[in-house]
Parts: sequence; structure tokens; C-alpha cells
Amino acid sequence: MILAGLPLAQLLAVFGAVGFGVLILYILKLRRRVVVVPFSPLWERILRDKEATSLFSKLKRLLSLLLQLALLALLVLALGDPRAAESLIRGRTVVVLVDASASMQATDVAPSRLASAKDAVKKIVRGLGGADRMLVAQMDAMVTPLGPMTADTSALERELDGIRPTDARADFPRALRFASDVLRGVESGEIVVVSDGALGEASDSSGPVHLGSAKLSYVEVGKSDRNVGITQFSVRRYPLDKSRYEVMLELTNTGTASEDVELQLLGDGALVDVTKLRLQPGASLPRFYPQLSGANRTLEAKIALVDGTRDDLPADDRAYALLPERRRAKVLVVTAGNTYLEAALLLDEYLDVTDVAPGAYPQALAKGRWDTVIFDGATPPEMPQANALYLDPRGPGSPVKVTDALTQPGFDKIDRKHPAVRFLALDDVNVALGHKLVPEAGDKVLGASDGGASPLLVAGTRGGYRFVAVGFDVRDSDLPLRTAWPLFIIDCVNWFTDEDAQYLSSFRTGEVWRIPVAGGVASATVKLPDGSVQPVPVHEGRAVFLGEQAGFYQLTAGEQQTQFAANLLDRSESAIAPRATLSVDGQPAGQVAGFRVGVRREIWIYLLLAVALLTALEWATYHRRLTV
Amino acid sequence: MGLLDVLPWRRDKKAVSSKDDDLFDEAFQRKLEYLSLVSRRVFAGRLRAERRTKKSGSGVEFADHRDYQPGDDFRYLDWNVYQRFEKLLVRLYEEEEDLAIYFILDTSASMAFGDGQKLRYAKKVCAALAYVGLANLDRVTMVTTSDRVMERMPETRGKARIFKAFRFLRGVKAEGTTDLGDAMRTFVAQNKRRGLAVLVSDLYDPLGFERGINVLRYNKFDPFVVHVTDPGEGHPKLHGDVLVYDCETGDEREVTVTAKVLARFGEAYAGYLADIDRFCATHQVPYVTARVDMAFDELILRVFRRGGFLR
Repeated sequence: MILAGLPLAQLLAVFGAVGFGVLILYILKLRRRVVVVPFSPLWERILRDKEATSLFSKLKRLLSLLLQLALLALLVLALGDPRAAESLIRGRTVVVLVDASASMQATDVAPSRLASAKDAVKKIVRGLGGADRMLVAQMDAMVTPLGPMTADTSALERELDGIRPTDARADFPRALRFASDVLRGVESGEIVVVSDGALGEASDSSGPVHLGSAKLSYVEVGKSDRNVGITQFSVRRYPLDKSRYEVMLELTNTGTASEDVELQLLGDGALVDVTKLRLQPGASLPRFYPQLSGANRTLEAKIALVDGTRDDLPADDRAYALLPERRRAKVLVVTAGNTYLEAALLLDEYLDVTDVAPGAYPQALAKGRWDTVIFDGATPPEMPQANALYLDPRGPGSPVKVTDALTQPGFDKIDRKHPAVRFLALDDVNVALGHKLVPEAGDKVLGASDGGASPLLVAGTRGGYRFVAVGFDVRDSDLPLRTAWPLFIIDCVNWFTDEDAQYLSSFRTGEVWRIPVAGGVASATVKLPDGSVQPVPVHEGRAVFLGEQAGFYQLTAGEQQTQFAANLLDRSESAIAPRATLSVDGQPAGQVAGFRVGVRREIWIYLLLAVALLTALEWATYHRRLTV
Repeated sequence: MGLLDVLPWRRDKKAVSSKDDDLFDEAFQRKLEYLSLVSRRVFAGRLRAERRTKKSGSGVEFADHRDYQPGDDFRYLDWNVYQRFEKLLVRLYEEEEDLAIYFILDTSASMAFGDGQKLRYAKKVCAALAYVGLANLDRVTMVTTSDRVMERMPETRGKARIFKAFRFLRGVKAEGTTDLGDAMRTFVAQNKRRGLAVLVSDLYDPLGFERGINVLRYNKFDPFVVHVTDPGEGHPKLHGDVLVYDCETGDEREVTVTAKVLARFGEAYAGYLADIDRFCATHQVPYVTARVDMAFDELILRVFRRGGFLR
């Protein structure tokens, strides 16, 4: 036994001083309350009998003194913080990572895996030793520490209550890196992962995670694997008939039994299609719905088991998508006359095209708001407050510097991923005369001649507005005679208006979304599916937001309101079968040990409990008049 | 009202004295009249002539008729009435029997214990019984005692003199210790005329309550004990360590009051009352317990029923 608190000499001094005080108080007699009575001989009569028991009274008085001294001794000993020498180990530093990913919403353990995980962590918290410290972090697409590293068990339990499930997958490597950073330099660090094990590999772009000397423990949550989920969901309008759209979705049965599923497709809340499907264990079933019409904005897919029961994970039973907004794009064409251009613009009936001569351009620009301005051989002194397509730009007003003339350039290098030139066959376009464009930092070269040395096609952003510059007059090439020409024009307009064929009908939860907003807006707010509103920052004309809830969102930036949808759509999260083991960096995680509920290593707590017990005993006997 | 009367303790004094002034108010006097009538109606005849007097009565003033009952003296039968109605009626006379009634009021400090309820009650008892005595044309004398005879209201007669008794009682204050033995010896030495001695006391005599009563008995007085008790004194609301202080003798005693001690005190108190009752019964001394929580007129009727007071 050793004393971790005050040393023995001090304890004896405290006991001596206070004990002496107690003794003095017992020797000193308090003046009794005077009570006047009418006839004291009656009292004399009963006190004569009491005299016989005075010896017992004295003994009781002595017992009372001994009791007080015993209480004092216990308190003084508690001040010394006595501990068993063998139990004096260094306190552990524990980081608990609580999985709050979508799969933890599974209801196979009532009420949910997350609630079960919280209970498991609370047991660990209650079993913390006196010198142990703990930090609880929520692990989802991010890793969020819920409080400081503390030994305060009630604070830790309060933090646990604040954990909410998300519709995102867990970023396990990031959480492990966070935990190992927290435990860096700590001797007896321990990482406890509380999860169903659907965490993927503990490896990211920086390589596998190394935990160093920290011990890894794993608490498994969950018991069932029955689940059918929507693992893909996408919708797009047909480029040339925007009243119609097509839907692609994929269902996956991650369980071990075949399931009969009813799939419902709702457009703007109304039922569009109902299909009954049978999914074999582990099978994925893609479904394609072409030529759909009727819905204007929102699409929702829902699945339910035909037998009326529910699978264990409701989070992936719904998926949401938004159709691109169907509106006429206003296009201002500044040209002295270009039949090819006019013909190409006629192909898209959703374009509202206005042709003006270069001289009338300033007046036309001032008339209204334009989604796209096409400059055909005419370059204004400064760029308009709109997205612009420059055909053969010249002069200082050009968004990119126009330099050397190129004779018979060609497209040797094409950025085939860019929406403006995606799927276009430009390789064999013949150009008689062109000019080399000099892109600025951040601009993208979509097509270049001379093996990439002479950019001919450049896209970029100026003042929050996009532009595409073509370094030659199309009439000096055979491009207008090709299929690629009208597609190029439409692709450019769609890219400007975010209506390209690769329109993202929904975001994936747990990823950082970059949603375009109108130029000049510094901040925006987003309304989440649960109705809460959060401010989001705007960076380079896009609102940046990490969403973790599936459903429809509404972004408000200035006067502009944008709706978008978000889905889980993660096959690994839909696979809810709990994993019995977890391994990181080739090392399997061990069982949680050393957290025994109700056993704390401090003896002083028990000493104080003994004081409380003795006081309660004294109180009870006093009120029963046993000790007075 | 003086300036000092505004002060709270002055107001309290005033309140106490006004309490004493109200002791014999009009309502009380009406109640006395009623008790006087009741005493005549209920006890007339039955108790008449029970008391033996040392002097032969000579009054012959006709008072009333009543039905003949076996054992009545034939000489008092009204034959004229019998002749007219054929009913045997006995003639009743106002006997001017010269009986002396002494009211001995204990005014020791213990009678004023608490809020003085016992003393007020005792004064009322004295006043009521004195009124009945005066109404019966008895000679009524009042004395107050503690360890000696303190004050005295001289012998008086006639119903109208009740106000003199009121005045006397109003002026009585409780103080001093109790020594009924010495006080009664002084009393018998001062009053040679024997008669009914009504002792109104709480009988808290450290030297023994018997001594005073025995002195009266040995000197051929007819003692009648009205024992004024306060039930609260048998069950004091005490708790914990206290110093018990006797309000008369000043004796002190340390006591740790527990539930057990309180129970034993209650038994001792009940035993003390039982001792007094037993003593009086043994020595044929009429004894009435006057509990201060008992309705006053009920007590007076109990005194009448107990007998020994009315002739």
C-alpha cells in the first residue's frame, strides 16, 4: 500500500490537530437549553431510575467519540489517496472511435446498432480507472472529436448522447490517423473502434495507416445481414427532348437469402412505375427506365420487401434524384452573319437565340440577362457578365492572349474529359488558318495543335463566368461540315448552363460537394433534408459543403435558389453483415479489456463511502434514540 | 394609550390584563346565573339537608312545594293541599343556615405556568362556586395561598356581593412556592369558624399534597379539593438535551429527553394524579379534577354532582 496523495507525516499531523479539536469539543460541555417546568419532582422521580444506566450512557458517549475519531481517520486516510502498490499502473489514454456511418442505422439490434454501440462505450466509460483519460470521436465521412480528452465519466456519457447517425460511409483511415495523432507520444495509448466492421481497408492515398505503439481494440456491434438496398440511381434528360428522361438504378441484395422486392419509382411525388423483383443472395440487379415522362423535377425510388417485413437497414431503401431544370437558355449571338452557327443553334429547341450585329452588341447586352453570349469573329473590349463562346477572338478584349498565326493546325491533343468536347470527334478536323491561344493559369486547353504546343481551344473562368475560346474562324475549317460542330455548340451552351448530358442528378453523401452559385456571392445557406439550415462557404463560384444526409437539399445563394439531391448509394455500406474481426496494418484488433464496471482503482472513494455509511448509521441510531 | 403602550411587550401586558378583566364578563355572569338555577332545579330536594350543620336553622320562610317521598318528615306535609287535591306535597322553607364556605385558591408560581391558563381557570371555578354559595346565602370567604396565606377577602353574604369576589379574584397574581401544609396551618389559625374549605390548586407541593388537606381534616373543616390540571403538562413537548428548571423552587436538573423518557414522564404524571385521587377517596374528601381543556360549566355541574358542595 502506498499513498499517492498527502504523505504520511502530513496525514498524522492533520489527524492529530483535528482529532485534538474533536476531543476538546467532547470534553467541553455545551450549555443545555433551559426548559422551565411547573413541578420538577416529577422529573426527579423518573431520573432516579435513569441514574442506574448512567454507566451505559458514559459508554455510549465514549462510543460516540470513537465513532467521530473513526470518521476523521477515514477522511484523513482518503486525503492520502492510498493505493495498492501492485495496482499503481500508469493511466491509459483511450481514443474511442464510434462508427456513425449509414450501416450503423441497422435495426438488427434494437433499437439500432448506433444505440447499441453507445451503450457499449458507456460500459467502457464506467469502467475507466482513476488515472485513465478518454476521448470520444464520431467516425463518419469525417472524424469529429466530441470533447476534450478527459477522465470525467459524466461528461463522456453526455458526449456519447450527442452522436447522431449519418447517411454516409465511414472514413476509417482518416479516423485512425486522427486517433494515432492524438496518441502520438503517449505511452499507454489505446484505440477502441466500436463498429459493425463495414469499414473497408485502413489505407488511403497516403498508404496504409500505421498505429505505432497504440493498442487497437474492436467492439463488434450487430448480428444480422438481411438487407436490400438501392446502390445506384441516376437520371438524365434527353439532350434533344428535354421533356423526357431516363432512369438507371441498381438494387443489391447483400443478405444471404433471396428476397422479393417491390420497387416504386415516384416522379414529383406521384407513382411512375412499380416493379416486383427477386434478388438472389449477393446479387445486383440493374434496371433501366428509358423514355419516361411526367415528372418535372424530383424523382424518388423506394423499395420494400414483398412479404411486408422490413430489412435491417432502412437508410438505403430510398434514393433521390433531381431532374435538370428545364428552362430555355437565352443565347446572344454577336455575328455579322454565320449560317453554320445559326443552323447549329436551331437544333436545340430549348435555346432562345437572339442574333445581333457587332455594332448593336452593347445595347443588346444591356437589354437582359444572358446565359450565353457567342462572339463570332467579334471581340468586345471587355468580357460580358455572362458565359461566353469566342469564335476566333482578337484584340485586347479576348479572354486569352491571341498570338502567332498557325497554318493548317490540327487537333493533336484533345481533353476528352471536358464537357465541352466530350465525345466529339475532332481529331481529323482540317483547319486552314488559326491562331495560337495563350491560356492563363487555371485555364484548360481543350484542343491543341503541334503536339500540344499550340493551343487552339481553351476553356476557363473569368470573373466567375465561363468561357470557351476557339482559335480559328470555323468557316476556315471543315468543322461546320461535321457532326461534331452542332454538338460542340450545344455542349458549350450546356456546360455554361450546367445542363450537360453528364448532369449530376444526385450527390453522394459523405463527399465534398461543390455546387455552382451565381457570381459575386460570398456565402450561401443550405437547407438540409431534416429542415435545418447551415451556412456554407463559397469558393471560386461554388458552394462547398460536405453532406451526410440523404434527401433533397436547397441551396440559397443571394437570390438564387438551387435544389439538389443526395444519396448514400454505397454498396459497402449496404452490406451490413457485421465483421467479427478487424485488422489494421496486418494486425488484428484485440478485445476490449481492463474496463470493469464499478471497479475503480482509487481506495479514497471507498473510504468516503465508508464515512457516508458511518454517518448514515450514526444518523439512524440518533433518530432511533439509541445513541443519545 | 401612552407612548410606551405602542411597544410590543407593553401591548402584551395590556393584553394579559385585559384577559383578566374579561374573565368575569357579562357572558360569564349570565352563565353563573344559569348554573345557580340549574343547581336549584337539579339538586333541590335530593341534596337538601345532606350537609350537617353545626347550627340549627331557624328560617321558616315558605319557598316551594315538592312531591312527598318516603322518608320525608310528616310534619312538613301540607295537609291543606292534600285536602284540596288529594296529593301529598311537602312544604319547603328557606333555611337560613349559617354555613361558612372558604375558597382557598393556590396562587403559587406553578399556577401561572405557561400562559397562566390554570390560574384563570381556577379563578373562574372560585367565582362560580362563590356565586352559588352567595346565592344560597352562605357566608363566603376567599383566601389565596402559596407557602403561606397571601390575601384574604373577608366573609361576605348575599348574591349582590359577587362583584366583591370578582374584584378580589381579578387582583390575584401567582407567585411564590407551594407549601400547602404551612399555609393551611395559618388558615385554620385565622378562621375559627369551621365550614366547607374548597381547595382550588394544582397540588404541586414538593413536600406532599397530603399535608395541606390533612391539616384541614384534623381541624374539622370539610375539605373539598378541586384539582386544576393542564393535560399538556403530562406530555411536555421537549426534545434532546435540556436543563429542566423548576419555576417555583429554581431546582435544575440535566435531562436528555428521548421518546422513552417522555413516555416514562407521562406515566409518572398519571401516577401522581392517581395518588391524589386515591388519597381523597380513602379519606372521603370530595375530589374533582378540573382539566383546563374542559368546558367550564360542565366542570361546575360535575362539582355539583360530586356532592358535598350544595346543601
